[in-house]
Amino acid sequence: MMKSESTAIDVPESSAVPKGKASLMAATRDAKGGYNKGFAIFDFILRLGAIVCALAAASTMGTSDESLPFFNQFFQFQASYDDIPTFQFFVIAMAMIAGYLVLSLPFSIVSIVRPHAAGPRILLLIFDTVSLALNTAAAAAAADIVYLAHNGNSTTNWFAICQQFGDFCRKVSGAVVASFASAVVFMLLVIMSGLALRRQ
Amino acid sequence: MRGHSYKYVATQVKFFIEKGKFLLIVSNIRMSIVEFGQAKGLTSTPNRGLAIVDFMVRLLAVAGTLGGAIVMASTEETLPFSTQFVRFRAEYDDLPTFTLFVVVNFIVSGYLLLSIPLSIFNIVRNTAKNTRILLIIFDTAMMGLLTAGASAAAAIVYLAHKGNDRANWFAICRQFNSFCERISGSLIGSFVGVAAFILLILLSAVALSRRN
Repeated sequence: MMKSESTAIDVPESSAVPKGKASLMAATRDAKGGYNKGFAIFDFILRLGAIVCALAAASTMGTSDESLPFFNQFFQFQASYDDIPTFQFFVIAMAMIAGYLVLSLPFSIVSIVRPHAAGPRILLLIFDTVSLALNTAAAAAAADIVYLAHNGNSTTNWFAICQQFGDFCRKVSGAVVASFASAVVFMLLVIMSGLALRRQ
Repeated sequence: MRGHSYKYVATQVKFFIEKGKFLLIVSNIRMSIVEFGQAKGLTSTPNRGLAIVDFMVRLLAVAGTLGGAIVMASTEETLPFSTQFVRFRAEYDDLPTFTLFVVVNFIVSGYLLLSIPLSIFNIVRNTAKNTRILLIIFDTAMMGLLTAGASAAAAIVYLAHKGNDRANWFAICRQFNSFCERISGSLIGSFVGVAAFILLILLSAVALSRRN
């Protein structure tokens, strides 16, 4: 009788304890995934904004031709981005950066869908860093030429061409501002990728 | 004879006992270091390698930016045929872009010198995450600044070499030879610093993403 009582012991709690631990682990993973998902969504939106900025910069600079209404016997006064090699570099660099941003949108979507994957994030971070350097270089070089065009330089006897070509100057300055905006967006993208990697 | 041999054997045994004690002490120290390392997470070697490379690249970037700043700030050239009214003198001050270049390079080299202790801390402590993310944020900002200063100066150096026919800008390198050479050379150090910064950001990110 004692034996049958001693054998009829059931232990209901041992199966529930691992389940409780598993649900606790799932809850913490979801909380960490929530932050990473927020970073990834913000990253995607910033990338869309940067595409707009880079395309605007490249197209504004590319269509900045101006011909002055007066001309003399020998030549007509024209200005276009073609005449200054720095501006050519600017247009090519901004077009490349806009193309890279469009191609990186799928990777950004993958990192939204899978918040814990480190591979796409590291890839995006590597290429974003290189694009930041290219973007800043093109923007700064073009800004320097625009500064010269506005102010000239007395020591080197370089004349300020903005005094003659007003429209050209305005369009070119607007393009440089747009490319600096895209550079700031790239900085934010790199920092956010770093923060998301930290929370792995 | 027997006494001698006993003495000899006794000294040999003593020597071995001393050697054994020494070996025991050494192995104890080694085991305690290993346990200490495992407790504090210091035995993960891939991150330590990355941190050492990070430190060395930082030193290289300091040399590059500081060299570029000093070479640019010490350029001046006076042509031998200066007259009383027209002065043929070129200095880095005359072009505001070069002033920006010198200032930016000094700022960036100062930041790099201040971040070297942080990088040494990252070598010692491999699992540090907060210092690495701090380094990424500041490295990104400084890289943007350095690239902007270096490429603005590069645009002016290009103009000085080639000139521009449409805008009627004369190429001053044809007159000022040594000035031109020095400003072109100082750009190299600065761009080495830019490449080093890209590498630093990548190293910090890869070290952050490894699970220890």
